Amino acid sequence: MSLYFNSDHEMFRQTIRRFVEREINPFVEQWEHERCFPGHALFKKLGELGALGVSYPEAYGGAGLDYWYNVVLAEEVGRADCGGVPMAILVHTDMATPALAEFGSDELRQRFLAPAIRGELIAAVAISEPDAGSDVASIRTRAVRDGDEYVINGSKMWITNGTQADFITLLARTSDEAGFKGMSLIIVPTNTPGFHVSKKLEKLGNHSSDTALLAFDDLRVPIANRIGEEGQGFGLQMQQFQKERLIGSVSAVAGMEKIVAMTINYCRERQTFGKALIENQYIHFRLAELLSEIEALRQLNYHCTRLLIAGHDITKEVSMAKLKAGRLVREVADSCLQFHGGMGYVEEYPLARYFRDSRLLSIGGGADEIMLGIIAKYAGMIGKRR
Amino acid sequence: MHAVVCVKQVPEQNSVKITADKQINSDGINPIINLFDEYAIEEALQWAEKNDGQVTVISLGSDDATDSLKKALAMGANEAVLINDPALEHVDSQSAAKVVAAAIKKLDNVNIVFCGKQSTDDETGQFGPALARFLGWPQLTYVFKVHELSETSIVVDRALEDTLETVEASLPVVVTAVKDLNEPRYPSLLKIRKVSKQPIPTWSLGDLGLGGSDVAGNVQVADRVPPPARPSGEMISGNVQTQVSSLVQKLVENQIL
Ligand SMILES: Cc1cc2nc3c(=O)[nH]c(=O)nc-3n(C[C@H](O)[C@H](O)[C@H](O)COP(=O)(O)OP(=O)(O)OC[C@H]3O[C@@H](n4cnc5c(N)ncnc54)[C@H](O)[C@@H]3O)c2cc1C
Ligand SMILES: Cc1cc2nc3c(=O)[nH]c(=O)nc-3n(C[C@H](O)[C@H](O)[C@H](O)COP(=O)(O)OP(=O)(O)OC[C@H]3O[C@@H](n4cnc5c(N)ncnc54)[C@H](O)[C@@H]3O)c2cc1C
Repeated sequence: MSLYFNSDHEMFRQTIRRFVEREINPFVEQWEHERCFPGHALFKKLGELGALGVSYPEAYGGAGLDYWYNVVLAEEVGRADCGGVPMAILVHTDMATPALAEFGSDELRQRFLAPAIRGELIAAVAISEPDAGSDVASIRTRAVRDGDEYVINGSKMWITNGTQADFITLLARTSDEAGFKGMSLIIVPTNTPGFHVSKKLEKLGNHSSDTALLAFDDLRVPIANRIGEEGQGFGLQMQQFQKERLIGSVSAVAGMEKIVAMTINYCRERQTFGKALIENQYIHFRLAELLSEIEALRQLNYHCTRLLIAGHDITKEVSMAKLKAGRLVREVADSCLQFHGGMGYVEEYPLARYFRDSRLLSIGGGADEIMLGIIAKYAGMIGKRR
Repeated sequence: MHAVVCVKQVPEQNSVKITADKQINSDGINPIINLFDEYAIEEALQWAEKNDGQVTVISLGSDDATDSLKKALAMGANEAVLINDPALEHVDSQSAAKVVAAAIKKLDNVNIVFCGKQSTDDETGQFGPALARFLGWPQLTYVFKVHELSETSIVVDRALEDTLETVEASLPVVVTAVKDLNEPRYPSLLKIRKVSKQPIPTWSLGDLGLGGSDVAGNVQVADRVPPPARPSGEMISGNVQTQVSSLVQKLVENQIL
């Protein structure tokens, strides 16, 4: 028995594992090919299982349970046969909705969080812009007050679930103050006039997930759609990023574990020079080394989860986890593809897809270098000492 | 309609180790509901829903088996009973069936019992038939489709080696389920939470009017060894033409074609 998961967590794990085996994996080829997965149909089913609001308040249809359930969800969807669908699900549950769930008004949560938990509405989070990704403080999308409405103009780039989302958690400037001041998080329904999907982006990997360039053209939403106070947006988003990074790292561990296990099996079966590949010390040592690093990262993730549940600031630890995850998936993908030889390079085996999909983790949700900057700052090497 | 489903908790993989005293060591292996029992649970639930009936799940096992009972409750069963007694630790299939039969008699108005066709750990396949005998009920084994089920009768298809048999029987009856009888549901988080605190009564042999001598059993496992390793396959080399003709030749030689 695990130190962290009780039998209810494990039962939920079985539920999600079966869901992935039945409702996701058989369709991955098709969805990757179509460059999109059927979000509304899939999220409805996940909503019925209670998977989209595991730790959200019961008042909005959540289960009100501990964050370990989010970890279980991320681990099990992270074992799916592609990176795109897990990413789309986890963007909805742990990246686009945490700020709404924690700081949104009751009315805003009834209108958007409750149907998101039921799987009726798909959520996206829009921070990055064509000219501002890593440097969040330099975003230019503006929301200008006009009576009891905001008028929004600007564009957002690389938005996951962007073509399918029903609402977007948008970070926009609500005052002329420079830098990280004067930003707010605003819920924008995508059926509002002035909302445009300018372009669906073609990507290296994560093909089953839709990623879009969005435009906001004199789009009007009520002031009441703002999450928290005006000007608090940057801080709220920085908080929301911590869960995004943790959950990204957690699901990466599950995916890596699966890929290494698959590679061990392959190397047991595959004979070269009269013996199984796995018998080459070079190969089993390398795989043993990767397993050790994966385990170390898993424990760091669990440590972050414990800190988070205990109410601590996890910025430093989770930045380390996200950095490590982004780098380790690249190593795992590279080595495991290598040990599959020519089979690693063709689409008959899952390695080629994993190689493409995993590359994102060092960029999305904060690039490796941004994580390094945060860690250096928290360690007192640069900037103000914390 | 009151259906009982007999549920056994087993280790997830078959890769268990055998201990020095010939017992099965499943340490560190995830315990799950026996594969076939899941189909039995699902079938009972579906018919109970149609007939406005109720489902009770029974497991004979250690306290750990409550996990499997909880899961069955989360799938939708109404009640669960654990039968646990120190005298049952190494019970054989025959005696297990005797004890469960006593439990079913203790329950009210049971008119159908669903079991899996066998368990994936011991694989004796005796439990369902033995249970039917102790209850004095007819048995429908290897059921792969239930066409009709009412308060009084049942119509099923049985999957035999090379025949499909449609059988009608009157209730009460014992049914044993094969794989793919249905698609077992996975419990929602809401249900998992709801049953989390549901108490599961534990019955001892004494509660069933039985004693240690009733379950003495007369089958002992004398030895357990892993099966001999399968010989590794033969790789056929050469270009595609030679590979294919060589493969066809081997298939003909071995009378497969
Ligand atoms: C598939 C995909 C999905 C995405 N989904 C979303 C989404 O749903 N919502 C959203 O808001 N965004 C999303 N993004 C955007 C993502 O968060 C950004 O791409 C990321 O933050 C990096 O920003 P950028 O692309 O502008 O890179 P830049 O900021 O231009 O940085 C480019 C590179 O420069 C380096 N670098 C940057 N800053 C520094 C520094 N200070 N010191 C040293 N090196 C540095 C890093 O190597 C970095 O990768 C997604 C991106 C992709 C590819
Ligand atoms: C796109 C593509 C084009 C190709 N084109 C051609 C072509 O035109 N003609 C042709 O004949 N072939 C071609 N190939 C096949 C290619 O040459 C083989 O894939 C390559 O030689 C590796 O062999 P393998 O795939 O059987 O890998 P394996 O021999 O099974 O080896 C798998 C992996 O195990 C490791 N390994 C193997 N042996 C050892 C060892 N002794 N010690 C330690 N590690 C070991 C390596 O990491 C290797 O990558 C092509 C392959 C691809 C992907």
